Amino acid sequence: MGYELTIEPLGQTVTVDDEQTILDACLRAGIWLPHACCHGLCATCKVQVVDGDIEHGEASPFALMDFERDEKKTLACCATLQSDVTIEADIDEEPDAEIIKVRDFEGTVSRIEDLTPTIKGIWIRLDEAIHFQAGQYVNVSIGEHGFSRPFSLANPPATGTEIELNVRIVPGGVGTAWLHNELHVGDRVKVAGPYGRFFVRKSAQSPSLFMAGGSGLSSPRSMILDLLEAGSDQPITLVYGQRVKAELYYHDEFTALSQQYPNFHYVPVLSSEAEGSDWTGFRGFVHDAAKAHFGNDFRGHKAYLCGPPLMIDACITTLMQGRLFERDIYQEKFLSAADAQQVRSPLFRKI
Amino acid sequence: MNMPITPQKPAKKLSLKDNYNLLTRGLGWETSYQDMDKVFAQDKFEGIKIHDWDKWEDPFRLTMDAYWKYQGEKEKKLYAIVDAFQQNNGQFNVTDARYINTLKLFLTGVSPLEYQAHRGFAMVGRNFRGTSARIAAQMQAIDELRHAQTQAHTISHYNKFFSGLHDPTHMFDRVWYLSVPKSYFEDAMSAGPFEFITAISFSFEYVLTNLLFMPFMSGAAYNGDMATVTFGFSAQSDESRHMTLGLEVVKFILEQDPDNVPIVQKWLDKWFWRGYRLLTLVSMMMDYMLPKKVMSWAEAWEMYFEQNGGALFNDLARYGIRMPKYHEVASKEKHRLSHEAWATFYNFSHAAAFHTWVPEESEMKWLAEKYPTTFDSLYRPRFEHWREQQQKGERFSNGTLPMLCQVCQVPMFFTEPDDPTKICFRETTYRDEKFHFCSDGCKDIFGNEPEKYVQAWLPVHQIYQGNCFRPGTDPTAPGFEPLAEVLQYYGFHVGEDGGEYLGSLDARNWTQWTGKPAVAE
Repeated sequence: MGYELTIEPLGQTVTVDDEQTILDACLRAGIWLPHACCHGLCATCKVQVVDGDIEHGEASPFALMDFERDEKKTLACCATLQSDVTIEADIDEEPDAEIIKVRDFEGTVSRIEDLTPTIKGIWIRLDEAIHFQAGQYVNVSIGEHGFSRPFSLANPPATGTEIELNVRIVPGGVGTAWLHNELHVGDRVKVAGPYGRFFVRKSAQSPSLFMAGGSGLSSPRSMILDLLEAGSDQPITLVYGQRVKAELYYHDEFTALSQQYPNFHYVPVLSSEAEGSDWTGFRGFVHDAAKAHFGNDFRGHKAYLCGPPLMIDACITTLMQGRLFERDIYQEKFLSAADAQQVRSPLFRKI
Repeated sequence: MNMPITPQKPAKKLSLKDNYNLLTRGLGWETSYQDMDKVFAQDKFEGIKIHDWDKWEDPFRLTMDAYWKYQGEKEKKLYAIVDAFQQNNGQFNVTDARYINTLKLFLTGVSPLEYQAHRGFAMVGRNFRGTSARIAAQMQAIDELRHAQTQAHTISHYNKFFSGLHDPTHMFDRVWYLSVPKSYFEDAMSAGPFEFITAISFSFEYVLTNLLFMPFMSGAAYNGDMATVTFGFSAQSDESRHMTLGLEVVKFILEQDPDNVPIVQKWLDKWFWRGYRLLTLVSMMMDYMLPKKVMSWAEAWEMYFEQNGGALFNDLARYGIRMPKYHEVASKEKHRLSHEAWATFYNFSHAAAFHTWVPEESEMKWLAEKYPTTFDSLYRPRFEHWREQQQKGERFSNGTLPMLCQVCQVPMFFTEPDDPTKICFRETTYRDEKFHFCSDGCKDIFGNEPEKYVQAWLPVHQIYQGNCFRPGTDPTAPGFEPLAEVLQYYGFHVGEDGGEYLGSLDARNWTQWTGKPAVAE
């Protein structure tokens, strides 16, 4: 069951389970609310209830005073929902974020291609176009298994009737195995979306740097195609890494784009390409290539990261040492229960 | 007459952030008839470069009018509970009167720091050019004053029943072990505004405060002291603000200019070690002074510093900041710190305003479990020896005065990082004078600013120089007893305030008033 929680000023709605706290639901949906102690003592996560009924839970009487309870304030870390609720929280407004309601879509598989030995491109023609922001993802129902898996949309929003998913097969993964082995052209598929708060900060009018690796190319590709189609004249750089040349899918497309658009710079990088191959590009990791390309100075950029956790971590460190900080670094974050239990310092909020 | 109706869309409600900005930084201005550099004369000399105060991210968004309302409500609640505690003689519900000695040490050693923090933040709030930072510091200054006041009420209550709490402010400026917290804070307050806020908001409030607060508050709860627990809740809602301020300060300084990084690193090194040495007092509270123990010092250090602090410094590494220097020494010392400290206070208990005692057999068993590599082999024999002496009516006390470290002012009882049986001595010569230190950490701090630390007011030196007697005292008079005179100068009630717990006035009163044994079973 559960109730719907709307978070102002974002206007975004998330579903909250009966026993789930507001804070937990928001963090899992990728919405960062200020918080610290997580058990009702410090009041960092205080929010205003605009509409609906909540239960205050274990909030300390010192952290949430009686007069505040009268004013319909509550602590997100303890509060649970008793009805559909709207809260107002201390969240920075994002002028570039579109609030798009999540919907269910159906479509037919129109094309399947091997992009690399382990990644398939799957195209689905939807019965009705999906409106989304480049960088967002959809949940794909895995046939009769009764669960779904998230995949970033690899196509730009302009081609919204036919969506493209790039799916890397995960060893032992039921969902990706099904998509790779049991899905065929002509099959009917259900998807829900769009989800996520990963999007280009266009209004900042600043150069953007995309760092992608592994199967993390989908969102950056969608974002870059979207920017170029919209006629952006800001410098756009893609630093894109794989292990070997055979895995560097869409290499030819980006090479062509960099010739077509003078403001688009393409920096491919391979970490394990055989010595003596005909590869003339950068060898090493994405963060090394970015550091070399920018001379260790990333100031003035907006950086968008997508890829495996180790790559993300190395990229953040490199960016910060090149004087680009949290406020200008963006990444898609999928939080799991295991992440919440990790010992993490609260030094950074989003990264 | 018909007014033309022009339907106007109401202005969009301001976000909390915009609203807060208007009520804080929106109230600041660039001075015109005085140079800004003259108005804020102290925010440059430390070498910290700030290019854009607007990049300051407010760690919390609390405006002054809301602040008063919240704090007023908190006070009402807190005093209602404290009143009820007093009316019900809550002080007699604690485990036994040994517990009160933890409070005595906290209330005489830490409560005056709350007042010092009030002064320090008032100073910082005056000196920062950025309006938001000034307002955050101003609120914290008022918080700290509130905490100091609240604790003064606690002191006043416990003072009616137990010894040693009759004049904490007088003692704070004189007593040897209280010079440890006092000099720590004065070191911070006599630095520039950026060093002060890094030292107190970040190194202390953020990195180390859990080690002070958690054991103290949990210790109070375990031992039935509900007044202190309530104070803890009331203060924690402020502390979280103070901690987020500490984080923001350090991020902000580090992001503003790469030249700030080495300066901040030096401060983190210094203030980690200063804070850690101060926590020596907490280690013995946890392992020896709480009749019912919460966790051992070693466990607390592992959880709050090695784990949580480690995660923090992992993140800070992205700014080019490394773990504070000598953190590994602190980890080596964690299995001996409290034992060495308590033994020293046992030695000099007659010159302290709280009692000491040999741990009970059950406590020694707990200590042996918590410290399997050190307690039975290194520390138990000494306690057993002292217990035997005491049973023969020869309770040991040390008639001489200890040598103090020039920087942390703790008696030099710490042992070599790699040899817990050998006292650690370090020394250096500055302008033909020799100075002594308890550790490489303190020696380095001295080496970086010798002009500052040669001025330290070291209680033992001052006694030997004859500066710790009451006016009119004649040290040449026949039968003059220097120690007794020093204790008079401290304002102690000699024979009541310090010394052995068993048989003390506190212990006798406890049994008489409560009918319970002086040492709980």
